[in-house]
Amino acid sequence: MKTISAFLFVTVLAAQDVPLSKIERKGLAPVSREILRVKLPKATEFKLDNGLTVLVMEDHKLPLVTMRLIIQGAGALNDPRDLPGLAAFTATMLREGTASRTSKQIAEESDRLGATIAPSAPWASDSVTVAMAGLSDNLADWLAVGADVLLHPVFPESELNKLKQRQKAQLQQNRSSSNFLLGERWNKAIYGDHPASVTSPTPQSIDAITPEMLKNWHAARYAPQNAILGVSGDVRPAELRTLLTKILPWKSNTFAVAETPQTKPVQGRKIYLVDRPGAVQADVYLGNIAVRRADPDYIPMIVMNHVLGGAASSRLFINLREEHGYTYGAYSFVTARKYAGPWIGMANMRTDATAGAMTEFLKEIDRIRNQPVPESELEEHKRALVAGFALSLEDPNQLLDFAITQKLYGFPADYWDTYPAKISAVTAEQVARVANQYLQPDNLQIVAVGDAAKVKPVLDKLGPVTLFDTAGNKK
Amino acid sequence: MRSSLVLLLSIATTAATLPPKSVQIPIQQYKLPNGLRVVISEDHSAPTYSICVTYNVGSHNERPGRTGFAHLFEHMMFQGSEHVGKGEHFMLVENNGGSMNGTTSENRTNYFESFPSNQLDLGLYLESDRMRSLAVNQANLENQRNAVQEERRLSVDNQPYGETSEVLQETAYDNFANKHSVIGSMEDLNAAKVEDVKDFFQTYYAPNNAVLVLVGDVKAADAFAKVKKYFGDIPAQPAPPATDLAEPEQTAERRKTLEDKFARAPRISIAFKVAPGNTPDWDAASLLSGVLTAGQSSRLYQTLVRDKEAAINVSSHVEESRGPSLFILEITVRPGKDLAEIEKLIYAEIHRLQTEPIADWELEKVRMLSKRRNAEHLEGTQFRAELIGQLTVYYGDPNLINTRFAKLQSVTKDDLQRVAKTYLNVNQRTVIVTLPK
Repeated sequence: MKTISAFLFVTVLAAQDVPLSKIERKGLAPVSREILRVKLPKATEFKLDNGLTVLVMEDHKLPLVTMRLIIQGAGALNDPRDLPGLAAFTATMLREGTASRTSKQIAEESDRLGATIAPSAPWASDSVTVAMAGLSDNLADWLAVGADVLLHPVFPESELNKLKQRQKAQLQQNRSSSNFLLGERWNKAIYGDHPASVTSPTPQSIDAITPEMLKNWHAARYAPQNAILGVSGDVRPAELRTLLTKILPWKSNTFAVAETPQTKPVQGRKIYLVDRPGAVQADVYLGNIAVRRADPDYIPMIVMNHVLGGAASSRLFINLREEHGYTYGAYSFVTARKYAGPWIGMANMRTDATAGAMTEFLKEIDRIRNQPVPESELEEHKRALVAGFALSLEDPNQLLDFAITQKLYGFPADYWDTYPAKISAVTAEQVARVANQYLQPDNLQIVAVGDAAKVKPVLDKLGPVTLFDTAGNKK
Repeated sequence: MRSSLVLLLSIATTAATLPPKSVQIPIQQYKLPNGLRVVISEDHSAPTYSICVTYNVGSHNERPGRTGFAHLFEHMMFQGSEHVGKGEHFMLVENNGGSMNGTTSENRTNYFESFPSNQLDLGLYLESDRMRSLAVNQANLENQRNAVQEERRLSVDNQPYGETSEVLQETAYDNFANKHSVIGSMEDLNAAKVEDVKDFFQTYYAPNNAVLVLVGDVKAADAFAKVKKYFGDIPAQPAPPATDLAEPEQTAERRKTLEDKFARAPRISIAFKVAPGNTPDWDAASLLSGVLTAGQSSRLYQTLVRDKEAAINVSSHVEESRGPSLFILEITVRPGKDLAEIEKLIYAEIHRLQTEPIADWELEKVRMLSKRRNAEHLEGTQFRAELIGQLTVYYGDPNLINTRFAKLQSVTKDDLQRVAKTYLNVNQRTVIVTLPK
């Protein structure tokens, strides 16, 4: 069955700026004005002797356990400049052979147990994540496979060579995807020389990687004292502790995580166009570097973003889709980490509507910068952000994410308890201030993937355009 | 009546030594005099609830010249009704802490919201008002036609292999009801008129053609009283015309080759016609799909991706239709490999399924995976509400959410071999080869 939806929600963070006149408010529906205030349950936290921090969000409704092991300092952000992909290859190769299991045995055993064991090193992240999930009935069995993969990989050369061939084929395949091309060009545009600009290995780095490099990376950087194990679902903390002590004999070392290099906004408006001949839409990202997760401006940015583009009731969606029909969706979001990440506005615009859609995008940015958000509109968006917390109580993984965020960024224990009040306290002046500070039209970075023959003349009117082909070369 | 998901056994202390615990979803069923079926499932584990209204209409009900209409109509359901203004639906849901969407498939269309539990009236009101009094006008139709055409560009026309699944569907099936896509053609979307919207609403969006499901922190008796209040006076309509999903017997392989301007690697897509959903043969087919492509231990991953280094990726799934369903295999091939040779390898693996029982560990694997998937489907109230609605519209039985799992677990090796022999053969096969242009 193919199912298609009325909206495609790309993010949970957002904002809006619809002229209220475009929405017809009859005000007849029965609404409870009271916001259901909820207290988020706290994770149980303990530390093992080896320094591993464990967070457990118990939920015994269903026989499921989900784990996220986050190993800081082992991720792609730390790749040597000439070896992009080293962290990712190390993570992927964990499953390709251990001292006691072959690649095939690892695959068969984890699948037979109905478990997922998925190590990865996402681009632009400081950490490796090992995602594990399965049934609580046989938790000890699948966790043992996960522990073996984590602690005793042998990085067989024959498997590495096979993986290299698969990765090279994938590199080529990626270039058929507009999303890949957009992400690649966007990260280069906003991060410049920062390591977060990298989004794939190169044929050269793939050739250069050796089993010894992977062994050394693993031995040095997979360290329990730098890791957080988040667990949610049908598990008791005391029992988990006993189990981990028994089947995860992970030894600490002296590796210390380096400070993440900081980023800064790009100066001057720049436009990058990836020519994808025959494309029927222009896929566009626009924005610039904004805030770190721990920046006090993060909270007003979240509110500003919700007014502007975070949801279906936000200004961008109502304007570009509901009013003009230029696109299936128009949204915006904030990415914030230990280093400052971008505010991004995004849409997939019909090629012949690109001019109109870009005009409306820029208008909405101008409006949120220069006109105070009306009090009633601001209140509605703050209310949406605060009232939405109740739904997270259904989802132990979401609750676990809250706990992990608090731990990773060193926020106080009551961070999420005070979060709704902080959102509610944001004023229209603060919204205007962060919009002015972080959404500067003169410094806007614009990246588009589309048919250059049709889209370039439109973008030329907005500033100087640098053109690339789908292979990533300047044209 | 149960108050929440009920644990039948306590927690296993040392895993694997105690039998697995199971969960039972409580089901209360009602029917209003106007024909609206109502299913309520209480779960007080969080102060939230979800409402889902599932209409017994999808692209199967479309007529020639109006493909894509069921989905276009779904968009119109967000454009306002007698007491809810244009754009107000989004505002009312999001500003009160809720989430929402609507989805259309071949077999049904659904609309759902999740809310904090103090907004029960709001969810019921929004769904009842648009069932009773949808606002249909030319301006709304135009902007939603545009939005849907953008959706088609985004999901089909601007994607590598975007056209492939449409061609596969239209080649594998003969019956118009089955062979056209949910998203429809640009031409037909352009042809849709306001009168079509009105007729469709009148015919299919009646209480007697819908199932309303509430899941979560509600009290069944109170909630049902509110359902009566909001939906009780919506008039029933004559039953919509029945849809015939039967297919003539296929007697030979069907095959087409496409050129794709975005693809960089060839793709082989293979569809076999199998039994309708909720049958023992469909269940067995879905487990066979797991043997062939689920996880890195699967037969086609091990053979084609890892050992022979011939494919970039392999996947398969069995679509669930109330008529003949499709078992679909997709293999993205490394550039430069011999496509005919790879097809032979795929058919050799299928031949092995037909002539030898699968291994013990493989049976254990597909049972465990289905057990896990079953549990995951019960996690949030929204998905549970959608699933109960779909099972009730398709098969008339909301309790399938509790019973279908046992059916899947009872499938045997013999069943798998028999189903592989019955359905996965050349006469039921359609092959689409997509080549980079």
